[in-house]
Amino acid sequence: MHEDVLKVQDVSRIYSTDGLKVNALRSVSLSIKGSEFTAIAGPSGSGKTTLLNIMSGLDTPTSGSVMLGGKPINTMKGSELSDFRRDHIGFIFQSYNLIPVLSVKENIEYIMLLQGIGEGERRTRVASILKQVGIEGMEDRLPRQLSGGQQQRVAVARAMVSNPDIILADEPTANLDSATGASLLDMMRELNEARGMTFVFSTHDTMIMDRARRLVILKDGKVAKDEVRK
Amino acid sequence: MKLLMKLAWRNVLRNKRRTVLSGIAVGITLASLIFIDGIYIGMFDSMIRTATDSFLGQGQIHAAGFRDTFDVEKVINNSRDVMKSLGSEDLLTGFSERTVSTAMLSSAAGVNSVLLYGIDPEKERGMSMVDEAIREGEYLAPEDLGRIVIGSKAAETLEVETGDRLVITMAQAGTGELSQDMLRVAGIFHMGIREIDGGIAFVNIEKSRELLALGQEAHEIAVKFKNINDAGNRLLPIWKKYSQAGNEALGWRDLIPQLDGVMEMADLSTIITSSMVFCIVAVIIIHTLFMSLYERMFEFGVLRAIGTRPVSMSLIIFFEAASLSFFSILFGLGLGYIVMQIFSVYGINYTGIEFAGVTITELIYPVMTIRQFTFFPALVFVFSLVAAVYPAVFAARLTPAKAMQRSM
Ligand SMILES: Nc1ncnc2c1ncn2[C@@H]1O[C@H](COP(=O)(O)OP(=O)(O)OP(=O)(O)O)[C@@H](O)[C@H]1O
Ligand SMILES: [Mg+2]
Repeated sequence: MHEDVLKVQDVSRIYSTDGLKVNALRSVSLSIKGSEFTAIAGPSGSGKTTLLNIMSGLDTPTSGSVMLGGKPINTMKGSELSDFRRDHIGFIFQSYNLIPVLSVKENIEYIMLLQGIGEGERRTRVASILKQVGIEGMEDRLPRQLSGGQQQRVAVARAMVSNPDIILADEPTANLDSATGASLLDMMRELNEARGMTFVFSTHDTMIMDRARRLVILKDGKVAKDEVRK
Repeated sequence: MKLLMKLAWRNVLRNKRRTVLSGIAVGITLASLIFIDGIYIGMFDSMIRTATDSFLGQGQIHAAGFRDTFDVEKVINNSRDVMKSLGSEDLLTGFSERTVSTAMLSSAAGVNSVLLYGIDPEKERGMSMVDEAIREGEYLAPEDLGRIVIGSKAAETLEVETGDRLVITMAQAGTGELSQDMLRVAGIFHMGIREIDGGIAFVNIEKSRELLALGQEAHEIAVKFKNINDAGNRLLPIWKKYSQAGNEALGWRDLIPQLDGVMEMADLSTIITSSMVFCIVAVIIIHTLFMSLYERMFEFGVLRAIGTRPVSMSLIIFFEAASLSFFSILFGLGLGYIVMQIFSVYGINYTGIEFAGVTITELIYPVMTIRQFTFFPALVFVFSLVAAVYPAVFAARLTPAKAMQRSM
């Protein structure tokens, strides 16, 4: 069996706005192993986004710890945290993932440029990833010249191209019609199987949940169910 | 770095209308700063020229202390040697010796006390504008000892016209005895400077020497420079050279200290004007950057999330400010140049306005200087970057989760 890539331990997150306290997460513990393909599901407001943000260091827990690749990310700050995200986590958001002024190729290259990877290496990686996500020949287009499904594929390509330890996706299919969403998920699963890439994604769509190999259900900020499927 | 520049640059191009509008606004402020500075310089050049060319001369040599008392006995020491030496000065275009004494002019209608200048009519032609300023009658002829030229104000007081006779009374050197003579009005001048038109009169220097019993001496030598800026430069060695053996040589800054004071005040007001201009620049830049930052909040969140460092986020903002101000400056310089060219052809009409005792008598032409096209734009650039600090810090502090939430 694979090692734990991500370990969330006893994490709570309390939002306080205008004196009102919301317990978005209550003592959540969860481990993600390498090469898992996990869906986090649950009704609206159950804490999916909050959990993914904490898992990726975009938000800090009120209490508890988050370890990624053996490192505690809940205590990192500033450039250290930025660099850690850049090198270890791939992100896919619901929409407007891509930088509109950069072409497809430039969007995919962005992280590699931040990492200082040479031009030759960048070019081979971009070419190969474009083929894997099925958008060859569109590398010079701007994001707005692509369909929603194609944009999400580019987002997957960007997340994968620097070989992160884990890819976190908050409702990657929410803005796509169900057929397009399903085919994006199929593609992600293929990449998971072919390259062993670890994915965690949230969704409310049952058709999407069915494509996960592990399903975690959140309810009122708690893990209500955690099951491994086929 | 190149990547961040590319991002910033494309963002500037993204909302072209906003970029162009802010660019125009900043450009106009720069152009107006250039223009105001040019007008100031033009105006002061003109005022200095009016004040010095009319009669004063750009510089003067006297016996030390003469200007305090106008004591007839305080003649220039070694005036022959001084004149000989002045003749070989490269910086000068000319000089002319004068006697200066108080005198009483009386006519049937009244009396008017004046500062009577004995002049060499020929040399004085090139030195001062007395000859050009004659409105009635004529200027003094070289051998013409029996006539006098007075100003328009004095003519009014004395109720005389050209050809009329005046009695002149003055005290002689040495004895202090009064001497009197009858002179005919050769001409009446008008220079637009009240004190000169009412209080100065000219006779041939031979005549005044005779009346004052001065022999071949003189009280004042007026000098004119090839370049008027040299006359305002206190650091030139020429002033020291002629401030010796009991004489003093002074440039217009010391001869008309009130004009110098006005110039210093103008410098101050230039500083105030430019500070205001730079505040406008700062506000425009901050506003533009924040507008575009708020518009792209989600995008900034994504950039931060996928690993862009806080410092790099600031850099993006600084690069945007830099490219915005670069274009504004290009536009401003172009506009400033065009406006300056137009007005240096047509001029600005302030004639008749009196300022620091000097009446502006000619059209003002803005003067272009290197400073306007190097220092000012550099300041605009620096100010833009300083103004960008606030939005840049804001961008660096954005947390990705908040940024992405705010725009949804
Ligand atoms: N910034 C915030 N300030 C205050 N409360 C918040 C904030 N973000 C989320 N919450 C609250 O925390 C709870 C969990 O929100 P979260 O966004 O994690 O839910 P979610 O499962 O992602 O919902 P959805 O399916 O609608 O995206 C909700 O009750 C929400 O109102
Ligand atoms: Mg959510």
